[in-house]
Amino acid sequence: MSARRATGGGLIDRSQPIRFTFDGKTYTGYAGDTLASALLANGVTLVGRSFKYHRPRGIFTAGIDEPNALVTVLKDGVREPNIPATGIEIYDGLTAESQNRFPSLEFDLAAVNQLAGPLFSAGFYYKTFMGPVIGPLKGTRFWMFCEHFIRRAAGLGRAGYEKDPVRYEKMNAFCDVLVVGAGPAGLMAATEAAKAGKRVILAEQDPRLGGSANWSGEEIGGKKATEWAEVKAAELTALDNVQILTRTTVWGYYDGNNLAAIERVTDHLPAAPIGVPRHRHWSIRAGTVVLATGALERPLVFPGNDRPGVMLAGAAERYAREFGVLPGEKIAVFTNNDSAYRAAAALKEAGAAIVAIIDVRPEISPAARALAEQAGIAPLTGHAVTDTVGKRLTKVMVQHFDAATGRLSGDPRPIEADCLVVSGGWSPAIHLASQAGGAPVWDGKLQAFLPPEPNQKWVGAGAFTGALTTAEALSTGRDAGLKATGKKASRVKLPEVAAPALDPFPAAVFEIKAKGKAFVDLQHDVTADDVRLAHREGFVSVEHLKRYTTLGMATDQGKTSNVPGLAIMADARGLPIEKVGTTRFRPPFSPISIGSLAAERHWRFKPDRLTPMHDWHVKRRARMMEAGLWHRPMIYGEPGETVEQAYAREAAAVRRSVGICDVSTLGKIAVKGPDAAGFLDHVYTNVFSTLPVGKARYGLMLREDGIAFDDGTTWRLGEHEFLMTTTTANAGKVMQHLEYYLDVVWPQLKVHVTSVTDQWAGAAVAGPNARKVLQACVTGTAVDNETLPHMGIVHGEIAGAPVMICRLSFSGELAYEVYCGAGHGRHVWEALMAAGEPFGITPYGLEALGALRIEKGHVTGAEIDGRTTARDLYLDWMLSKKKPFIGSALMDREGQIDWSRLRLVGVISLDGRPLGGGAHIVEKADGNGLGTSIGHVTASCYSPALQKYIGLALVRGGKARHGTRAFLSDPLRKRFGQVEIVSHHFFDPEGKRLHG
Amino acid sequence: MVERESPLGAAFRPGRHGNLSAGPGLRISEVTPSGIAEAAAWPGMKAALAEVISSVTALSLSAEPNTGDVGPESSAFSIGPQRFLVTGGADLPARLAAALPLEIGTVTDLSHGRTAIRIEGARAGWVLSKLFAIDFHAEAFPLTEGRATVHHDIFAQIQRISPNGFDIYVFRSFARAFWLELCEAAEEVGYEVAG
Repeated sequence: MSARRATGGGLIDRSQPIRFTFDGKTYTGYAGDTLASALLANGVTLVGRSFKYHRPRGIFTAGIDEPNALVTVLKDGVREPNIPATGIEIYDGLTAESQNRFPSLEFDLAAVNQLAGPLFSAGFYYKTFMGPVIGPLKGTRFWMFCEHFIRRAAGLGRAGYEKDPVRYEKMNAFCDVLVVGAGPAGLMAATEAAKAGKRVILAEQDPRLGGSANWSGEEIGGKKATEWAEVKAAELTALDNVQILTRTTVWGYYDGNNLAAIERVTDHLPAAPIGVPRHRHWSIRAGTVVLATGALERPLVFPGNDRPGVMLAGAAERYAREFGVLPGEKIAVFTNNDSAYRAAAALKEAGAAIVAIIDVRPEISPAARALAEQAGIAPLTGHAVTDTVGKRLTKVMVQHFDAATGRLSGDPRPIEADCLVVSGGWSPAIHLASQAGGAPVWDGKLQAFLPPEPNQKWVGAGAFTGALTTAEALSTGRDAGLKATGKKASRVKLPEVAAPALDPFPAAVFEIKAKGKAFVDLQHDVTADDVRLAHREGFVSVEHLKRYTTLGMATDQGKTSNVPGLAIMADARGLPIEKVGTTRFRPPFSPISIGSLAAERHWRFKPDRLTPMHDWHVKRRARMMEAGLWHRPMIYGEPGETVEQAYAREAAAVRRSVGICDVSTLGKIAVKGPDAAGFLDHVYTNVFSTLPVGKARYGLMLREDGIAFDDGTTWRLGEHEFLMTTTTANAGKVMQHLEYYLDVVWPQLKVHVTSVTDQWAGAAVAGPNARKVLQACVTGTAVDNETLPHMGIVHGEIAGAPVMICRLSFSGELAYEVYCGAGHGRHVWEALMAAGEPFGITPYGLEALGALRIEKGHVTGAEIDGRTTARDLYLDWMLSKKKPFIGSALMDREGQIDWSRLRLVGVISLDGRPLGGGAHIVEKADGNGLGTSIGHVTASCYSPALQKYIGLALVRGGKARHGTRAFLSDPLRKRFGQVEIVSHHFFDPEGKRLHG
Repeated sequence: MVERESPLGAAFRPGRHGNLSAGPGLRISEVTPSGIAEAAAWPGMKAALAEVISSVTALSLSAEPNTGDVGPESSAFSIGPQRFLVTGGADLPARLAAALPLEIGTVTDLSHGRTAIRIEGARAGWVLSKLFAIDFHAEAFPLTEGRATVHHDIFAQIQRISPNGFDIYVFRSFARAFWLELCEAAEEVGYEVAG
């Protein structure tokens, strides 16, 4: 056995055993374990297969930087692939699988890819599959042949197709100070800011606060560092002005100090409590941000560095101290810096044998030497690991190494080890600072990129700044907290730290050049030779390097590989690393769930907007349809009726007797003020200032460019009070249009506009018997022709509810729009239905409404489509010559009055078949029904009045084509046929019926 | 007088719902007042408008942004430049309109057009923060003040009526959709719908 649970130690709860399953086998861990630590504790060191070569891979890190140990978690019936085992907290019943292997992790057929390694070098896809077909194994056609097999063989995990049933949520938060990272620096910064009375949010990606204090083995303030962190956490938790978010990764830094975070609320639980989301997406608006995100350890690049059993030294230290787990029994250490010595001492203390410490440096610090003594071994300085041996690690090969020249000398010798822990130095986790703006700055001493100068309100602290010791973390954390508060004097005492005085600076060694595959990017199987190949082929820019080799891509985004990759490219180019540069970081810092971004909008992209009569319609079995956000009745179908039969019946009932339609959705805007009438004269093409109180007028609006914008009736309710109605679709746009002109163009006008769409329920009562229906139920006013003439308005009551009635018609029949308070809408509607019963009153939906208006040739948004002018629609009679109005300056441009414009006509199907909206009209059709388009159908229906299929169309020449024949050409729907072009006024062109 | 119908319909389910492991963390109710009016002033006249509203409602208002007041019969809060939302009895819009000279501004009756939903309880700010990108902390959103904001497509005007209580005014046509979203957001902390 290699890896195992140590007999003691760790912050896990050994009294709480937890059972979980990996690849179908059940294991036991403890509360506080990650899947990675629990697998190691059970001796499982092979956990995955690599992306391209299917090489066996083990656990490499202990955190979100994990490139190898990606697993698929099965929960709530859903497969979620590519989750790092190092970030999964185990719970009873956790089920996880390894990925990218067939038939099993131990025996993976695709491992044969390793034999074809040279074929799969950088640029393989570009070279093999792009470009013209040359020979049998080149080009796009070859790709189409190979794609299926390659996609099966390469890749990471496989997502399922099941709908994700769990809940995701969004949360908005505001704070004076956001502290990202709750290690010693973050805890100090949060404490300082909190004690200054600031509202603080402290976000930590791990379940436990403390960061490195949980595994450093140091003492802070005379206590074990873990205990110090616990005390600090308890202090902060007790404060009302501090909000602590654990299991929360701040992953995006946007403009205006707006940061995005994901809280993994229930991933660690077997089941989510009622109403509790799995993930919560946080939008945090912070006054100041303290970035205390720590540093990520880098590996060294050498042949065999990907073998199961090879692990970062800091990770091994963490497994030993935080989880009480030994990643091996006989552990070798390979390093270019002092920090690995601390890991060696920790592993020794936990019960492992340290078989070697191989250090590329010729000299090491006294503190490191003392730690080596604690580990019971004399370090092999001036040496390097040149290879590893074993399916799972059994030996490492070691050779003399000159750090100054990078040369190996002497013969390699084996050292038996089942685990090799590696450290290549530390890279500050500057991702958020980079996202905030600015280029990272290379530090030659640390051999790492440091954060740029802030160009947003953030302050750095701790290892993030390159200050790698705990004492520096505490002091920079306190200073950052102080700076964030804008105060001068600190309220927090700096605790003493008892820690070895390690040398923080690594040797500038990134790669050991020896024979064999040396991996730079473990997740994407990018080797040092791939980087050099990219250089030879001219892809020398870091951006090109990334894209050509895929270095730094995928779920880990190169957290362990970026700097070694750059160093190898710099070496190939003969330039210092700072001259080669680095890619910028972009969100997210680590993978996030798409569910958390969609959150409550998942499957609910827009809210349901309901009229006051909605429930009545539903009860009446209306088939509802969406019109923008509104839900409107399409038809009130009878059993067995088709849509066409239903709307034809409804429309015929309107023409024959009386119908009722819910028009509550029409936009309604109260326009009030001493300048209201003059304002409407500007807004509409026709005059409204002459409209008497108690009358309504149809109005047309143009856009500034002279194109028709919207139409509707506006009612004058008082000398300085109008009720404007708009089309349902354009209500919001018209409101914005009016507000813009009042705020920006004519601020001197005393006019208020307020949306009252929801104030009024509206019912259109239309048909020859409409007046009789009103007479039967309206009180407080007469509704005869004298009292209520066409476009007249009266006020009265229906069944005790106040109503306002305007006589106007969209259907061409004698018709009224009855408005009442929305809360009385259903009451009034039912009263109208009862009053109409003797006349067979028929509710009609949008389809019938459409048929009635097409018969009359009334335009809607289908014709006012953002391209037509008033003249195109034969509404030029509404263009006042007495006053300017919005659009009047440009409406007569040459192109707007050109003879060839598409203009409104009616079309009648001559083959007795329906016409389709959007179908083209062609003058002459070839044998396939195709020809040059002269226009298109905008709306069509079966006309019960004409008993024909008719439509409105926009056709070149318009009226001039009346009486001619043309062809309908609708190749998409395979509908071709002859049509007659006629006037768009199909029915009652004189308008006699609306006058009753 | 005909009773006004609630827009919430079957979505209104009195009783306790959601995660009640710690008891309901919230109480949600529909509290649409009989009279709701938007009172708007001409530029520079907001203080005069505030005075008129105060004279009609006995509320104490100023011309400051976000200002508001809550009384036993009425409430009012600023909903934008020169504008207040005022609530009270059924005759409030008419009384306000009668008291407000055209030289100062105008009044628009919205009694049927807006629905007021009250959310009260220790977790009210938490739940509302799921829906609105505004700061519900008492320092940022003091008692009686108002905010005009939006939840996705749903426009909302919110007044803090108590340390842990908010009245949310939404367009009537969106009220049911908003109510359902609010209830869903409140499931985590458990809620009681007051009948």
